[in-house]
Amino acid sequence: MTQHRITIANRDNAVYRVDPHKPLLTSLLDQGVDLPYGCKYGGCITCAARLIAGEVNQKAQVALNNRQINDGYVILCVARPVTDCTLEIGVESHGDLYRNPFLDPLAAHELKADIATPLEEKT
Amino acid sequence: MTEHCCGPGYASPSEAMQAPREKLLYTIAIYTGTGIQKPDYLCTIDADPDSPTYSQVISRLEMPGIGDELHHMGWNACSSCHGDADMERKYLIVPGVRSTNLHIVDCGTDPRNPALHKIVKGSDIKARTNLSAPHTVHCLGSEIIISMLGDAKGNAPGGYLHLNKDFEIVGRWENSMGDIKFGYDFWYQPRHNVMVSSEWAAPNTFMPGFDLEEVGHLKYGRELHFWDFEKREPKQTMYLGEDGLIPLEVRFHHNPDSSHGFVGAALSANIIHWWKDAAGEWQWEKIVDVGNEPHPEWPIPVPGVISVILLSMDDRFLYLCNWLHGDIRQYDISDPHNAKLTGQVWMGGLLDKAPFVNGVKVTGGPQMIQLSLDGKRLYVTTSLFSTWDNQFYPEIRTNGGCMLMVNCDTETGGMEIDPNFVVDFGKEPNGPSRCHETRYPGGDCTSDIWV
Ligand code: FES
Repeated sequence: MTQHRITIANRDNAVYRVDPHKPLLTSLLDQGVDLPYGCKYGGCITCAARLIAGEVNQKAQVALNNRQINDGYVILCVARPVTDCTLEIGVESHGDLYRNPFLDPLAAHELKADIATPLEEKT
Repeated sequence: MTEHCCGPGYASPSEAMQAPREKLLYTIAIYTGTGIQKPDYLCTIDADPDSPTYSQVISRLEMPGIGDELHHMGWNACSSCHGDADMERKYLIVPGVRSTNLHIVDCGTDPRNPALHKIVKGSDIKARTNLSAPHTVHCLGSEIIISMLGDAKGNAPGGYLHLNKDFEIVGRWENSMGDIKFGYDFWYQPRHNVMVSSEWAAPNTFMPGFDLEEVGHLKYGRELHFWDFEKREPKQTMYLGEDGLIPLEVRFHHNPDSSHGFVGAALSANIIHWWKDAAGEWQWEKIVDVGNEPHPEWPIPVPGVISVILLSMDDRFLYLCNWLHGDIRQYDISDPHNAKLTGQVWMGGLLDKAPFVNGVKVTGGPQMIQLSLDGKRLYVTTSLFSTWDNQFYPEIRTNGGCMLMVNCDTETGGMEIDPNFVVDFGKEPNGPSRCHETRYPGGDCTSDIWV
């Protein structure tokens, strides 16, 4: 089976080979990477990481809004690698994940997928 | 077995008020969301002013896993089984809202060093009941019910988990959720055969953080539900609308004959009061409306965000916290239709009114509170929920939370922060943690219900 190479940028570029059919969280925990997680079904954001290069399939996640996705965040407990990837992991990668909702509101297209207005339809 | 004076708790609220002063506090502290890869833990804090370790954490019980997000908790028994000599207020049920694990902690064997007694695994709860995200724990005679905010996949409305006194899963407590959209807190008043439940949001909505826009998309609650307690099904829903956005903590009067109760609407920053009228119909009204406050750097005024309320054991005072403003208020509710502001103190918050208290930088605002049985000491912690803390008070990552004590005047009303009590969770041995809910070994103002 083809494996993908996952590079962890903020762990001295350590490289792990992972099964493309398994969630990244499972594969990386199994290989001893220390990662935060909570619900393990893609709903609580605890396991968020930033994807610096590569592509994942994270259709099952429901924690991220479109702005967080555009900022490169991925939900490791459900994301499966489609290509080799480079990630920044842990709370150190969460710099842009949290924002004061009163000071920095979301535009209609930046909401979560189920309630967002697609950008084209706006204006 | 005799019917009196043998079980846990007290025969009545007035007897509870005569109980000895609390000497120990059990408080939750979390590392979830802080970047410190350590388990959340239960702290035991020395609250005996005559002790050399007064106002210090004297023991820490780490949970076995990382990332539970301990949040609220409750006792295995309270005054609701005062007549049952076989019961003892010995175990704290400490749920992880993210992991769904329930930690059963033995606080009775060695009260200064609680120990883990048993774990009910989140995976078992999800598999057997299709529920997740445990929140409020109430005992009910010798049984335990827990509001669960989501189904196994984090969707609303969830339901109620029923455990027996040996902490075995019985199944779901409710017979129906009716049209209820969300769950959160609940309180029951058996002499009126009623339970009232409130609404936060689906776990998949609130856990990742707060998007204000989602309130407009009806992803957050604005209703209050009155249940037929014996039939275990909702009977009537009160639509609170703009006055009741995100109704959280639900408190009935402690007096078991009273039908009066209160809920804090967090985002509207209102207190809603309900009661049964002469015709036997449930009514509600708004009795407190906290105005938004201007902020030099904000384009809009800051809402109070009432994160908690509680009632003194004699039902005379209502306390509320404005987590974003940074104040705790005391209202005299002797006439529950007319709340009179009688006290106010400031700590932390976004309005910069009291950035330092007792030498500690207060990060966050007054959040969870617990009142002594005699109504004179209010213990306060500053963290709300890891992801929400990170949005509103990002410095809490490095500063941690803190606990303070407020002395409350029960004669004429009034409040004052005690100058000699502060627990700085920024100085914890494994790094800054965040403190949340508190319970006392002998019962407190949010545990005990009389049947
Ligand atoms: S662990 Fe909850 S979203 Fe991944």
